[in-house]
Amino acid sequence: MLETKDIGYWYDHQANALYRNVNLQFAEGKTYAIVGSSGSGKTTFLSLIAGLDKPSEGEVLYNGRAINKIGLTNYRNKYVSIVFQSYNLFTYMSALDNVLTAMAITNSQHKGDKEYAIDMLSKIGIDQDMAKKNVQRLSGGQQQRVAIVRAMCCDAKVVVADEPTGNLDETNTRETIELFQELAHAQGKCVIIVTHEPEVAKMCDETIELKNKEFTTKSAIKA
Amino acid sequence: MNFMNRAFLNVKAKKGRTLLLTLVLSAILMFVLAGILIQNAATTAAENAKESAGATVTLSANRENAFKKLNSSSSKSKKLSLASVSVKTAKKIASSSYIKSYNITTSTTANAKSFDAIETSSSNSSMSGGPGGKSNSSSSSNSTGDLTISGVSATSTVSSFSSGSYKITSGRGIRSSDAGTNNVVIEKELAKENNISVGSTIKIKSTSGTKYTLKVVGIYKASSTSSTSTGTMQSDPSNTLYTAYTFANKLKGSKYSGTADSVVFNLSNPAKANKFIKYAKSLINTNKFSVSKDDSTYQSMLTPLNNIKSFANKIVWLVAIAGTIILALIIILMIRERRYEIGVLLSLGEKRWKVIAQFFAEMFMIMIVSLVIAGIGGKFVGSALSKQLVSQQTTTTATTTSTTGNSTGGAPSGGGAPSGGGGGNSAPSGKSGGGNMMTTAASSTSSSQLSSQLSTDVDILSLAELGGFGLSIIFLSIMLASIGIMRLEPKKILIS
Ligand SMILES: Nc1ncnc2c1ncn2[C@@H]1O[C@H](COP(=O)(O)OP(=O)(O)OP(=O)(O)O)[C@@H](O)[C@H]1O
Ligand SMILES: [Mg+2]
Repeated sequence: MLETKDIGYWYDHQANALYRNVNLQFAEGKTYAIVGSSGSGKTTFLSLIAGLDKPSEGEVLYNGRAINKIGLTNYRNKYVSIVFQSYNLFTYMSALDNVLTAMAITNSQHKGDKEYAIDMLSKIGIDQDMAKKNVQRLSGGQQQRVAIVRAMCCDAKVVVADEPTGNLDETNTRETIELFQELAHAQGKCVIIVTHEPEVAKMCDETIELKNKEFTTKSAIKA
Repeated sequence: MNFMNRAFLNVKAKKGRTLLLTLVLSAILMFVLAGILIQNAATTAAENAKESAGATVTLSANRENAFKKLNSSSSKSKKLSLASVSVKTAKKIASSSYIKSYNITTSTTANAKSFDAIETSSSNSSMSGGPGGKSNSSSSSNSTGDLTISGVSATSTVSSFSSGSYKITSGRGIRSSDAGTNNVVIEKELAKENNISVGSTIKIKSTSGTKYTLKVVGIYKASSTSSTSTGTMQSDPSNTLYTAYTFANKLKGSKYSGTADSVVFNLSNPAKANKFIKYAKSLINTNKFSVSKDDSTYQSMLTPLNNIKSFANKIVWLVAIAGTIILALIIILMIRERRYEIGVLLSLGEKRWKVIAQFFAEMFMIMIVSLVIAGIGGKFVGSALSKQLVSQQTTTTATTTSTTGNSTGGAPSGGGAPSGGGGGNSAPSGKSGGGNMMTTAASSTSSSQLSSQLSTDVDILSLAELGGFGLSIIFLSIMLASIGIMRLEPKKILIS
């Protein structure tokens, strides 16, 4: 469903490219973990497939169509949801309003929007009372979970997440990744998670390692 | 319409910022409203001035040409011949729609017979020796009487009476129905000295010696200011008798019947004085006659009003521009603070114009509240400002009009007031005295009218105008501040 075709990226000089000739494929209904050392370019790669930036060379294809042909704004609006490393919630809203606003902007429809959002929030441990509080009154971990639910509630088929479990404890991390898995399998989404936690990587269907400017896909080590 | 919802949540959640913006916008709008109110008040006052302060146009002999002819003629007689205005022509001109009323005046002098004129120190001797001696010889006679006979069609149309400086104290004024009669209106002082009351008859003698019996129908009082201003150079104003213009013509001689020294037309709209003059000139022989306007009362009211109007206009625009800049700066800072929010919106695929629309909606809600606050406060600021402006404007124009009054008063037939021109014997300096008196009366009425008419009430129309300004101010400042947003790349904001 999502494909990179010979993409390369560099900030200043071609000689200092983070990577070149990257050809990867992401299928729907699967979860992917991208691992690699700090500064290797994971976040940058995510921004390319999320349509936040354009690759220096090559192109990103969504269902065979180049995403700049779809239009990056349009692509972000309809086909991809993003969970940021620094959650980036609307600080003047409640958790529930954050989710509802994102759903409204992306025209995502679910049976009983509000009930659906409340249900999703409660699944990751944010009860109704908390959901109606201003997000700034939630803990960092809680805010992170709100950001994840915000991305999951949108209809976009591709969900990209940058270190989504960075602020979560072991139990919450497990529950969150399980939620991602459930989402991918039940709704046929393609979830791409950048992580440095081996635990998280193990839970995903496939792991892609970025090392020495090369991406290598490792088969899932599944029991 | 999701951006509306976001805007509402934002305004509600960020109470401190909302309050700050409300105060800033209220202050800006308050001054804009004050400006609008003063402007509107001045416009209305100028409209009213047209009606209350009439302008007059005087049709009289062309003295300038007559003097020219006199100086160039080789004849030794040096007699100034001034053409008389035909009443028929005057009536034809007066039938135009520009004219509200008109007054036919003929002035001459006569001697008191059955009573005594009021003696003033040097009245007659200074007249003959006065400046501009050449003009001393009148067209009708060589000797001068001790009474000034002002023949008019109606005293109510004489500017001294209409401006309030002369008042009828008993009996009535001269009316147009008095034409052909020997009815007279005399001054109170003269009546008191000679024990004359309404209903009495008095006798006078024309300069050529014919005796006439007049019936007193009214007594008027000349205000003290006018008697001091004219008294020094002119015969005492108490010696002015108002009669029908037909009687004054009779005194001057048979060839003057159906004529007038001058005709004063009161315009229904002073702003159209020049148009009327053009029209009148097309009907007369401009070599022999001249038409001149006296809209000094109107102008003396209009000038301060126009000054106030242009000042208020400047306030409106200065405050609007300064307000836009201030607001734009505040919004720029605000938007910088909200970069992450904008980044998230853009990453969700929200269109840029909708992001801007959200800011606009937020400011719009704030503006509605500010409009109410400004509506309450603007009235006070407006009335305080306009009081200040009116007092400033009336003092400055009072001084300027009195100086210009001197210069126009000296011009031929500039006075327009029969009291200023004592028949054919008027010395130019006497005219200037008349001019002065006119303008002091004019400026005193204008100041009282100004302060009473510059009411700065807040009405729906000015609020709507204010709303328009408010919308433009927030629109422009958001546009200015949004130039940054248009260039923001979500990746740069979100991934640091
Ligand atoms: N705006 C930029 N201009 C120039 N170089 C940049 C810029 N942003 C990132 N880089 C460089 O690109 C490389 C990749 O950065 P990136 O943020 O993608 O790494 P990462 O793999 O996400 O690291 P981490 O695990 O610490 O989040 C880094 O070496 C960084 O120094
Ligand atoms: Mg990173």
